[in-house]
Parts: sequence; structure tokens; C-alpha cells
Amino acid sequence: MLDPISVTDLATSGPLPPPARWKGGGAVSAWVDQHFKWLMVAPAVLLILALSIYPLLFSLWVNFVNYDFEIPGHDFVGLQNFRQMVNDPLAWSSLLTTILLSLAVVAIEFLLGLGLALAMVRMFRGRGIILSILIIPLFISPVIVGQSWALFLQRPFGPADYLLSQLLGHPVNISWVGEVPWVYIAIVIADVWQWTPFMFVVLLAGLAAIPAHLYEAAELDGISGLRVLFYVTLPQLAPIIFLAVTFRLLDAVKLFDVIFMLTGGGPGTATYTTSFYLYQIGFQQFHLSAATAGSWLFLILLSVVIMVLVRRLLRAENA
Amino acid sequence: MAARIPAAKPSRWRARGDLARFTVIGLFILFVLVPLYWVVITSIKPSNDYLTVPPVWFPAEPTIVHYTAALFSYRGLQGLVNSLIIASVSTVLSAILGTMMAYSLARFNTGGQHLAFWVLSQRFLPPVAIILPIFLLFRSWGLYDTRFGLIIAYTFMTLPISVWMMYAYFRQLPRSLEEAALVDGLSRWQTMWMVAVPLAAPGIAAASVFVFIAVWTEFFFALVLTSRHAFTLPTVFRAFLGFQGAQYGEACALATTSLVPSIILGMLVQRHLVRGLTLGALRG
Amino acid sequence: MNERERRDFDAGLREEVDCWLRGDTSRRTFLTRLVLMGGAAMVPGFGYTAGNAWADVVDLSKVGLADKSTPLGQAQDAAVKASTEAPTEGSAYRAVQAAQKYKGATINMTYEAGLQALEPKNFSGPLWQALTGMNYNVVELPHPDQYSKPIAEHIANSGAYDILDIEPAWIPALANGGVIVPIDDYVSKYMNQADLDDYHPLYKSITLYKGKRWGVFDDGDMFSLYYRKDIFGDPKLQAAYQAKFGKALEVPKTWDEYSQVAQFITDQLAPNVYGSAHFRKFGSPGNQFSFLQQFRANGGKFFDADMKAQLTGPAGVTTLEQMIAQNKASIPGNNDLDAVAQWAAWLQGKVAMIFSWPPTGRISSNYAQRDKAINFIPQSTIVDKVGYATMPGDNGEMASGYVKALAAGSNNEEAAYLYMQWNTAPPLSLVRTMLPYTLRDPYRLSTYKSSEYRALWPSANEYLSHLCDAANTGVVDMIMPGWQDYALSLDRMCTAVWGGQDPKAALATAAAEWDSTTQRLGVDVQKAAYEQFQKLPGSYADHTIDKLGQSVHVE
Repeated sequence: MLDPISVTDLATSGPLPPPARWKGGGAVSAWVDQHFKWLMVAPAVLLILALSIYPLLFSLWVNFVNYDFEIPGHDFVGLQNFRQMVNDPLAWSSLLTTILLSLAVVAIEFLLGLGLALAMVRMFRGRGIILSILIIPLFISPVIVGQSWALFLQRPFGPADYLLSQLLGHPVNISWVGEVPWVYIAIVIADVWQWTPFMFVVLLAGLAAIPAHLYEAAELDGISGLRVLFYVTLPQLAPIIFLAVTFRLLDAVKLFDVIFMLTGGGPGTATYTTSFYLYQIGFQQFHLSAATAGSWLFLILLSVVIMVLVRRLLRAENA
Repeated sequence: MAARIPAAKPSRWRARGDLARFTVIGLFILFVLVPLYWVVITSIKPSNDYLTVPPVWFPAEPTIVHYTAALFSYRGLQGLVNSLIIASVSTVLSAILGTMMAYSLARFNTGGQHLAFWVLSQRFLPPVAIILPIFLLFRSWGLYDTRFGLIIAYTFMTLPISVWMMYAYFRQLPRSLEEAALVDGLSRWQTMWMVAVPLAAPGIAAASVFVFIAVWTEFFFALVLTSRHAFTLPTVFRAFLGFQGAQYGEACALATTSLVPSIILGMLVQRHLVRGLTLGALRG
Repeated sequence: MNERERRDFDAGLREEVDCWLRGDTSRRTFLTRLVLMGGAAMVPGFGYTAGNAWADVVDLSKVGLADKSTPLGQAQDAAVKASTEAPTEGSAYRAVQAAQKYKGATINMTYEAGLQALEPKNFSGPLWQALTGMNYNVVELPHPDQYSKPIAEHIANSGAYDILDIEPAWIPALANGGVIVPIDDYVSKYMNQADLDDYHPLYKSITLYKGKRWGVFDDGDMFSLYYRKDIFGDPKLQAAYQAKFGKALEVPKTWDEYSQVAQFITDQLAPNVYGSAHFRKFGSPGNQFSFLQQFRANGGKFFDADMKAQLTGPAGVTTLEQMIAQNKASIPGNNDLDAVAQWAAWLQGKVAMIFSWPPTGRISSNYAQRDKAINFIPQSTIVDKVGYATMPGDNGEMASGYVKALAAGSNNEEAAYLYMQWNTAPPLSLVRTMLPYTLRDPYRLSTYKSSEYRALWPSANEYLSHLCDAANTGVVDMIMPGWQDYALSLDRMCTAVWGGQDPKAALATAAAEWDSTTQRLGVDVQKAAYEQFQKLPGSYADHTIDKLGQSVHVE
């Protein structure tokens, strides 16, 4: 299997050589050049620091005190906030829902996106327009997406059940937003609708970059059809797939807007995701210390997963 | 740059392949368009036709009153303008800062793995943990409810996307041209902007599109950090879904309006989008 | 330019520059306005004679007033007169007079975004400005943020808001948290006792907490039963009902009768007409209101002497079972409906009975659907067919409602109070509840009796008289700290049951959540608050205005 980062004679790693001789500028220019790498990261780093230091310290402090609007004072409470989170069954069920839903949506989006990308990689007339249409859902705010699907799936006035009744020939009265398991399907559909184009675009770009000579070689070897897919295309695409899935997964675990607009976490608490749960207790009810503790726990969990994935990603880039 | 799938296939395969291909595309287009159609059609329905059984597929008396109401009576226009300005400026700022940092990370491995990881990790703390302190920070710095403040916040929020996508792209760029420029006496700064960035332009364009999308659609921070002046389109949309009354026509009108800049942008960049996301390899 | 004109110009210029720096206006608009102002200043007197006139005559040109020949126009005219001429001891007049010294001040008021905010932006705000020279800003917020945003601003000590539109049930939490301040001093200074007594008794003491008054009540959100007179009066149906149940078909008086009648009508008339429809969707409106009213009608009490939740008792079980029966008897998709979808079904004539907020009466008669730009509901196909009745079980919920409260940290406390007093004064309250697009409902005796309101549609007098009666036996939301949490538990419990969960299990979960909320807030704190609540009229079915002997009836 060819390494997708082809080892050409053009080195892509290692530092650049210092500039040979100065054409212009004076001492300032030279100083800039000497400290170039730090100066380039400085503005971004400063911005991030400026906006993250205070909030991080504040929220760290909130973790260990009482910060609840209805309970006066900010007394130190040790690990009580964390304990409250860990002891709350809803926190765990939200986590489970989050994991299951995100895995489901990313898997479906990947498969659909791959299928679409494979279908669209060959040039045909009208491909540009179709491409433009297919990426529209990406540009719509998730709150709008959630509300649109709510309108579409609502009973008795939404068209979804009506259309299904017509298609299937018998009356359909599914409560898409009020009953398990239909709510999960509704959420998955809404998310897949919005984010498959992301997968599709990333994978299409990757497909487009696979060199033609690999396919020619395969053809010469007598491989055709599906076996080309499995032995040539997918291996070449692997790093892109990895990148796309990672990015999408890390966004999917923050699933919020669709839940907020479509199900409100219901029925009961069946569709509470971690983000929705934390938002509900932290911002709607202002039990900020509990919500902050929960957020930090979630972050730690997520960081572990990220670190594993990102190390793999970086290694793939560095290979 | 598209791969040429070899043409010598048996014709039966080709026909079936085409059928499969167009079925997949066709089904997905349908999937994309049907809910969109419902939103657009609701926006021109008189209120008699929103909630009916059977559904009204095309109103007998289409009306644009929801557009005029949403845009002019209900702050929709200002929200649209604010969103456009904030998204555009944030995208540019994020692109500039992100490009600089990404170049440094890619070429000089600045800060090693840790700096890169730290930047990426900014995205992963759930907003509820930091929303109150950010709110307090903005209040004390006078950034609350200002477009400038929101731009700063969004640039901050989208730096991870910018940096990471451009980093990956810079890494794939062969160094020969940059080395040649340096040998010719260009400073590093000049090399970056005059050699590397033009080569990386498609990748920068792609990253910028995703940044724009992220800012254009963001709801939560906009809701908390704005009030009467700097509010954005998603917050106006939310306003139509009230406690005792919901204005579906206006909401859908606003949603449809927000699609227009998005579609224009999408059509402009869709070519670059495909080219620009070539993270795997850059070949001749 | 003379000295005063120069000062005005400078002030205007400074404001423009500030606007621009804050990003309010584009540079082009800014420059245009600058040129216009400069130009105006050049022409002697242009643009400034109007300013002179302010002090003398109230300029109503910016306020959208209805034609004086219409009832609304007459009511508006009376409101303006009450604010500017007489009666001089009325709270409207006194507020406007006292507010003259605050000319030029700006007050910021929070409002629910969208429909609710139409009224202050198009009527109250401009009128107040014309009357007093005070500026106003309407800050639009989604409903849940009407609770959390003021808290955040309070923490930031920003003084951003002056008047908060809040639910009465939030008063204890916000008062304890120091977000709002009592208005007793201002009331004794400026309010007219007769106007205070003009509130329906249920609403008069609803803003009292810990012995202080925390705001002025502003929206009589009484749930009522609305029914189709033509369906109930149909001879064939009556005969069939008599045959089946051995008694006459009447508007139901108990909850069991309600399900029975609804099921009967559904069985007979579906799919054209169904017995009932309810808003069961998650979130606001919220199942908590429907549950709480029935729970109390069934004799339920929230807590026992030790503050343990009593939801799992017989009253709770009965209530959920009744609600399930109601769902079965209702239009398909009942469990997905929100308030607007319920109204749509009602207005399209598909449902024989609904209970909901007072706008139901106005929209049934097609009075509210006059302006295409703000129509969010269909035209009514049941005009003149609608009757008004007391809630089955007698005790309708005063579901939510609104109170105008004074924000702590306001920079213009007295000015803000004066606006609150003026805006809820009897003549203004009448106009505001008469506007076709309003979502504010009558809460004053003078409104119930008003001849202008009664002229709005043929059965408006019945409607008003009925709203007054409904408040006599009405019960209020749980006005205690932690209401948000208790309400959320109830809403989640209900949606779980609509989703198929066993009622007893759902009740147990909700009770456990209630108990942990109580624990978190402090059992003693909650016990004291609960005792306070129980003293409020409308706390329970045995403690309504009617049971307290304070009923008011208007013909």
C-alpha cells in the first residue's frame, strides 16, 4: 500500500533554511525574520489567551464553590459539585445517548457521504450545480434546521406522516417527536441531512486527488469493480477518512441545537445529550456550579479521546 | 485534477454503474430539497395555510407579507446585515491569524505537539462552562452587544478550525519554491505571503468557507453576547418561536432569506472547495 | 444657530457618533444623518420649532392610533385624556405628571421577543415618549431568557435593565436573589388606591412576597374552557348522548365528564370533528400548567408537612390517568400540539372543546386576525359558534401571567416605576388588552366592565364576564423558589407518559426530582416559602377567591 504522503524528493518536513542575503529592510526586518516563527503564532495565541484565561480560571473556581442562583453565597464546597454530577443518573444517560447518537450519525454520514462522493467523482454535465445544491444544508443554522424538521414532522399538520401515508397506502400516525424510538430516528435524520454534505465534500476532495496511474495500474492487473474500491480507493482515502470522521465526531458529541428545537430532550429525558443537559441545568436554571463541574468532567473525558485520535492524526501527517 | 477512472469497462457494468450513481445522487437531492421546499413554501403561505390537513403544497394566494414583516417589522434585516458583517470580518481575521500560525506550525514545528493540541482543545469545553465568565468579561471590556465584540469572540472560536485545516495543507506543500525564494533574498515574511500563501490559496479558501459557515450559523454565543444592536440572524429566527404564539411564516421567510447569501457563497467556492480540500497529497 | 440649538445639535451629534462607534449605523447612514443635521441647523429654526412644541403639545403623530369612531380608538382617546387631563387623581395622570422631571431619561424594558414585543414598540413606548419625553428601549428576549438574562446582568452589575417582564412564579427566586426590588415606597407615593383595588382580587395580592410588593401584575392568563355551541346544541348528538349515558349532553363539569364527552364526540363525528385538543408538546406552553390545575382540582397538595412531594398520591395518579383519557379522545397528533397548533385546529372547526389562554376568545371571533402582517393563526371558521365555560373541576389555572418588576441596579428607578404604573393603569390596561394583536389579557374589573371592549364582538360581554368568573375560582402557579425546576420535572414527567411510560413510574421519578430540588434549596427555606404560598389566594382549590368570599361578578 502506497503511503499517501508520497516520499518525493521535495522535503516537506524540517525547518526552512535561513535566508541567504538581505535584500531589504533594516534591523527591524532582520529581527522579524529571526523570531519569525514565534511572531507568527503570537497574534493567534494572544487572542486565545486573552479570551480563555479568565473564563478558564473562573470556571475552575466555580467547580469548587457553590454557584447556584437560588442558594446564596459562594462557599467552598470541595468536590460536592463533581459528586452531584457523578451521582445524577441523568448525567450518565445523557452521556450514553450522546455517544450512541454521535456514533450513529457519523457512521451514517460517512457511508452516505462516501457513496455520494463516489457517485460524483466522475465529471458529468451539471455536476457543478448539483454540487451547489448538495452543500446547501451546511450553510443553514442548526437551530433553523431543527425547527424546519420540527415543522415537517409535526402532527397533525406536518407533511411527513401525510406523505408516508400516501406512499405506503395506509394511514401513518408516527409521533416523530414524542415517542421512542422515532425521536432518535428524527434526530438522526435531521443531523444527517445537515452534515452529510460535509463528509461528502471532504471525501470528494480526497477522491479527486487519488492519482490516475493507480487506477491504470489496477486495470492492468485485471482488478475491476468493487475490488478496485476496496484495494485501491479506500486505502488511498484512509487519511482523509480519518480526518473527516474525527472532525465530525468531535462536533457530533456536542449535539445540541437539533435536540433543543426538535425534542426538547423528550419524551421525558430520552433524548437528553450531554450538551443539552448541561445547558438546561446551567443556563436555564442557573445551577452553574453543577453544570460547570459536569462540563469539566466531560472535557476531561473528551480530551482523553481527542488525545488518542489527534496523536494518530499527527502521526499520519508526519509519516 | 479529477481521477480518470479507466474507460475500459464492460458496457453492462457501465450502465449499471451509471444507474446506481444517478440513483444515489437523485435520492439525496430529493432528501435535501424536500424539507427545504417545505420551509420556502411556508414562507409564502398566508397563515390560513400553515397548519392544515392535508398539507397545502402550494398556496392558492401566495403572499410576501412574511418577508416584509420578518425583515422590516421584526429586525430581520438588521440581523441579516449584522450576520453578514460579523461573519465576513471574522472569517478574514480568522484566516489571517490562522494562516500565520499554521505556517509557523507547519514549517517550524513551533511549540511542538503541545501548542497544536492546545489550540485544538479550545473547541472542546462545552460552552455552558465559560459562557458566564465570557459574558462578564465582555461586559467589563465594553464588548457586550457590539459587532466588534462578537467578531473577536468568533475569531477566537474558529481559530482551531482555521489553524488545523491550513496546517494540514501547508504541510503538504513542497518546500522547493519557498527555499528558492529565501535563497533569492526574500524575508520569511515575504516568502510566506508571496510564495506559500498563493500556493495554499485553495486550502485557505476551503478553511475559510467552513469558518464562515461556523460563524454564520452560530446561535448560542450570539444569544448571550448580544442584545438590541449586534444581534445576528439565528437569534432573530429564535424570536419568532414564542411562548404563546409562534410565527411560522416569518420564521421560514427569514430562513429562506438566510439561504441566499449562503447559496451565492456556495456557488462561488464550490470549485475551490473540491480542489482545496486535497489534504492527502498534492500531485501534478 | 442659537445656543439651545447648538446644544441640541451637539447632543444629537454625540449620539450619532456613539451609535456609529457601537456599530449601530453604517458609516453612510451616519454621514447622511450628519449632513442632514448640519443642513437642518443651517436653516434657521428648521427642525427645532418642533422641539419647542414638545413642552406644550403632545405630539401623537408617531403613535399608531386607531380611528376614533371604533371602540379601540375611543379607548385610546380615553387613555390619552386620562394621562394628560383627568381624572387628576388617577394613576395614569399622576405617573405622567411625576415623569415630566425625567424628560430625556432612557428606560430599558425586557419583553418576550416577537409578538409580545409588538405592543410596547408600536403603542406604549411611543405614547409614553410623546407624553413625557422619556426615551425607551424594548429588549427582546426568548421566554426562558427573560429569567436567566436579568440574572446574568445582575451578576455583572450592569444596570442594563430597568423594567423586567417576568412570570409571577419567578418573584420569590428573583427577590431572594436580589435581582428585583420592592416597589412599596413608590406605590405609596404615586399609586391611587382605587386603581389598586381595580385589580381582580386574584391578581391584587399575587405580587406580594415576604410582606412586600414586587411588581405590578399585567396579564390575566386565566385558562378557560371554550366549546362549540353548535355541536353541543345539535339535537341528533343530544339524543345519542342521552340514549348512551342516560343524561343530557352538557358542557362537562368534572374532568371525568370531560373525557367522556370528548370521547363521545370523537366517536360520533371523527374525522371531521374531534372532542378536544390539548397542547402537550414539551417546553412552553408546558404540560405543567395542565397537570397542576387538574391535580389541584382532584384535591392534590404539592407537599406534606415535611416538604416531601406528594405527586405519587391518588390525586397524581388520577390526574395522569385522566390526561391519558383526554389524549385518547382528542384529535390525532394531540401529543405534538403546541398552543398555536391547537388554536389552528380549533379555528378550523376540527375540535369541539379546548381549554387555553384568553386570546382564544379573541381569535375565535376573528377579532385578532385583522392584520395580515402579524397573523400567525388561521382565520376563524367558527365565529359566533363559541361558548365560554368554567374549567371542568372548577379550577382553571392562571397559567404564567406577567408582572412588571423593577430591576435592582436600575439607573432610573423612579422613572421606570412611573412607566410601570402608567402602563398598567386602568385606561391603559384597557387599551393594551384591546389591541387586535395583543397577547395581554384583561385583569382589571374596569376592563371586564368596559363598554368599549364589549363592543368588539357580539359575545364579548359574555367573554369578559366569564374571564372574571374564571378568576374567582382560579388557581395560580406554584409561586415559590425553585419553580423552574419543579415545572421542568412535571413537563418531563408528562412527555414521558405521552411517550408511553407508566404513569406511576413517571410520577415517582418526578417526585424524586422534586425532593432533590427541595433538598438542594434547603428544606426549611422551602417550608417557609410554601407556607407563604399557601396563604396566597388561588394556592389551592379550597383557597380560591371564591372560597375566600371575595368573588366579583360582572354582568
